[in-house]
Amino acid sequence: MNGTSEVFSAFAGVAGSPMLSVGLSLAAFLIGHAVCVVLGKPVWLPAILVSAVFLSLAIVALPINYSVYREGANWLMALLGPATVALGVPLFQQMHHIRQMSWPILVVLPVGAMLAVVYTLVIAWALGATPQVLASLAPKSVTAPIAIGITEELGGSVSLMMGALLLTGVIATISVDMLAARLRVSDERIMGFALGLNGHAIGTVRAFEISATAGAFASLGMSLTGLFTALLLPLLFPF
Amino acid sequence: MGSLRGFLILIGFFLVGEMARLGLGLPFSGGVLGMLGLVLWLMVRGQVSEGLGSASRSIISVLVLLIMPGVVGIFFNAQAFSGYWLAIISALVVGTVLSVISTLLLMNWLSTADSENSGQ
Repeated sequence: MNGTSEVFSAFAGVAGSPMLSVGLSLAAFLIGHAVCVVLGKPVWLPAILVSAVFLSLAIVALPINYSVYREGANWLMALLGPATVALGVPLFQQMHHIRQMSWPILVVLPVGAMLAVVYTLVIAWALGATPQVLASLAPKSVTAPIAIGITEELGGSVSLMMGALLLTGVIATISVDMLAARLRVSDERIMGFALGLNGHAIGTVRAFEISATAGAFASLGMSLTGLFTALLLPLLFPF
Repeated sequence: MGSLRGFLILIGFFLVGEMARLGLGLPFSGGVLGMLGLVLWLMVRGQVSEGLGSASRSIISVLVLLIMPGVVGIFFNAQAFSGYWLAIISALVVGTVLSVISTLLLMNWLSTADSENSGQ
């Protein structure tokens, strides 16, 4: 009996099925969540970072490679579409608050969304980044499903963009948590809007932890930034 | 059953958004167009059904799970960008901190000015 090779060939059979990818992602998601709860949900260590590290280790340890995992996980990523639609519900429910701040929002949205792109691109360009790297960094503040489309249109790398998105979400969340009080910002609507505009889904998750109102402003900031950036970048990027 | 009905509504709006994107060649994702459609539909209806509310809460709570497969990609494609890591990480960290500060200060200033105006 050669037990190990039988286990391996049985594993090779499941490796092609979407359920292995979905199961691994779900396990990593729950582990990340549990680790962060045990550590008291530190701001500097979002659950997604812990989950992503666990997931990568699992993919390396198991006899599958990233592209096999990724193909199975398409099934999971397909849900990003309806999940984006779902953000309309808290947006609608908090619409009355949004009307109160329509003037600041109308000014901050185009300025803030543009600055989010410009600061990063100027620094990266000054440090010698290639056009492909710049194209991957440009949609860094945009929610993942929209950002994928933008990156493909600009000719960037979707994996680098996803990494940039993760780092941006984390840095934006930490920055808002650490700087809001120092900048004398106490309005949770402003914190929420800043989290969604700069930190897309990761910032929005954090904003929902602050309050439902902050979450609504975050999903507003996130969805408006996504729309605005998707419209603007393909027109401006050649420059 | 209510949540499933809610989930079907989300999928329906996503598909309508996707058809609008493909049919009209719009530069937005089907999800964004579907979200705008959903908001307009809710404004006409004036309320969120319980099923739609619970379906959207459930799916929003697992957004992080849905983007994770793309996020781990960077660990496996990292070597393609060796030599640019300093540029990439400084640009993202410094750029994001600067844009968070700009957003917070600008919005705080505008909303203070706005509330002072409307208070008069």
